[in-house]
Amino acid sequence: MKLLLVEDEAALRTTLVPALAQNGYVVEVAINFAQAYEKIKLYRYDCVLVDLTLPDGDGLDLVRSLKADGSPAGVLIFTARDTLEDRITGLDLGADDYLVKPFHLSELNARVRAIIRRRQFQGQHHIAFRDLLVWPEQNEVLVHGEALTLTRKEYDLLLYLLANPGRVLTKEAIAEHLCGDQVDAADSFDFIYTHLKNLRKKLQEHGAENYIRTLYGVGYKLNLE
Amino acid sequence: MKLLAATTRYYLLLTAGLFVLASGLLYFGLEWALRHEADEQLHNERLYVQHLAAGGKSLPASLFAYQLSRSTSPRLTGFSDTLLLDPVEQELVPFRQLTFRLPATPSHAAEWLTLRKSLVESQDVLRVVLGVMLGALALLLLGVVGLNRWLAKRLWAPFQHTLTRLRAYDLHRHQPLHLPLPVIVEFAELNQALNQLSERLVADYESLRQFTENAAHETQTPLAIMQAKMEQLLQAPTLAEDEATMTLLGELLQASQRLSRLHQALTLLSRLENHQFAPAQVVPVYLDQVLRDRVAMLEPLLEARNLHLTLHVAPNLTARPLHPGLADSLVHNLLQNAIKHNYPDGDIAVSLSQTALEVSNTGPAILGDPTRFFERFRKHNAASESPGLGLSIVQHICTFYNFRVGYDYAASPVRHTLRVEF
Repeated sequence: MKLLLVEDEAALRTTLVPALAQNGYVVEVAINFAQAYEKIKLYRYDCVLVDLTLPDGDGLDLVRSLKADGSPAGVLIFTARDTLEDRITGLDLGADDYLVKPFHLSELNARVRAIIRRRQFQGQHHIAFRDLLVWPEQNEVLVHGEALTLTRKEYDLLLYLLANPGRVLTKEAIAEHLCGDQVDAADSFDFIYTHLKNLRKKLQEHGAENYIRTLYGVGYKLNLE
Repeated sequence: MKLLAATTRYYLLLTAGLFVLASGLLYFGLEWALRHEADEQLHNERLYVQHLAAGGKSLPASLFAYQLSRSTSPRLTGFSDTLLLDPVEQELVPFRQLTFRLPATPSHAAEWLTLRKSLVESQDVLRVVLGVMLGALALLLLGVVGLNRWLAKRLWAPFQHTLTRLRAYDLHRHQPLHLPLPVIVEFAELNQALNQLSERLVADYESLRQFTENAAHETQTPLAIMQAKMEQLLQAPTLAEDEATMTLLGELLQASQRLSRLHQALTLLSRLENHQFAPAQVVPVYLDQVLRDRVAMLEPLLEARNLHLTLHVAPNLTARPLHPGLADSLVHNLLQNAIKHNYPDGDIAVSLSQTALEVSNTGPAILGDPTRFFERFRKHNAASESPGLGLSIVQHICTFYNFRVGYDYAASPVRHTLRVEF
């Protein structure tokens, strides 16, 4: 999987690149509009991550150019401008998704993964993790070949964990993922605990022990082994 | 022209006109009165003579003997008023008399003479003068009132115009006043000063707005870097064994997220205040759909607190032209508020009709002035981590769309109701 990250902030680049690479993506970087434009004309990417505010141009023009070329690459826009207009325009132009800065790295992983899954495999894709097998298009979860019955939120939670294997996910990131980016859930994180407890119990009942580790006061992590 | 000069000019015109009129009236009135008086005197004398002749008396050497009275005994000398019987009309008539002494001469002894003159006729003259003066005065008063009214309409029209424009002035439109410069110097100066003031205001406002915008934009990037770095730091393998550092880092992350959420809310508020939502982004929004989406999203929060939410939506609702982001924010903040200020096992009732959206919930009694709930950073509980901007955002969105928003409180059982009328 090859990604192109278009981001002018060096400090952000140095964090985003390893975080994405950790998930097995090959990440190329463009630090301005001109470089990005050249790269999308020359090479093919599975997903392009575009910052809308670039020093020498508008990221939306990159999206336009990609769509005009009929590129199969998925497009994720992220922006520091908290303007609803840009998001709407971006999605109208054909971007697959948007993230508003500041965002959680785990959320970024989940979004990129969802975009690539939708684009590349037309739904014929499964996620395998240890003894787990998930068919996202059918909303089906199998443990040792046995179907697992999950609620909508438990399923969303599991997919989110699977998009970030081995990463520490903060409670805030999980809450925002489940309840929308505006959630002001500073005193409402208990509900995550409930969902996680149920999910963990259901996994254990089917013999999937010790998958989710709790990091007290911080968040949760999907154990790789 | 100066306002005073213009006003004085009209007043001079009025008084000069009235002066001419009054002079004319006085002249002709007095002339008529004097003539009339002479006529009457002559007429009276004729009657007196005819009366004498009819009585068979001899005609006097001089007319009106009663107008001259002679006496050898001393009298009080000088002017005085008296009443005498008019021989013709048989009534008492006012007279003015002058008494003086003729000193003795060799031919005759000293005498006191009294000359009398009737005052009846001169009353006509007085009446004319009084009438003309009162008339002129009345005209002057009426004229002044009328003139003032007319002047207020005509001369002060530019001032009224300026007032109207000032009342309607809205800084958010980013337009200076551009008032015209009328002929009257004072008004021209006033308008000029106001034009300059509004230009300065617009410039200041614009720079403040740009500052806010830049600050908003520029702080997002370092915040994003901070959060990304901290999240990446959280992944460090050595940290997994170090719970204390991990907790510390978790708290740091929480604080930075609070900061960014606060930042987003304040940016939204200032964008609403500056009317920075382009009308082009307005689309038909089905509020019932927004409401259902949001309720579905907040489901986990409702479950966690065991809150019971009833949603009542009137049938056949039409779409409303709104900014989709703002509609979402309005609904979200109302729901969030009802969840936050509620008891466990509490209850939330949401009802949407064509004219209003109402969210009511159970919850602890709230002390304080309800009108202040909409203020920024107004917290029910000072220790709460929430910044207390939700209702302020609701109010600003309502102001932006000219919706009316009201708060209602029922004491037993305690129920808070927020109602938005479209």
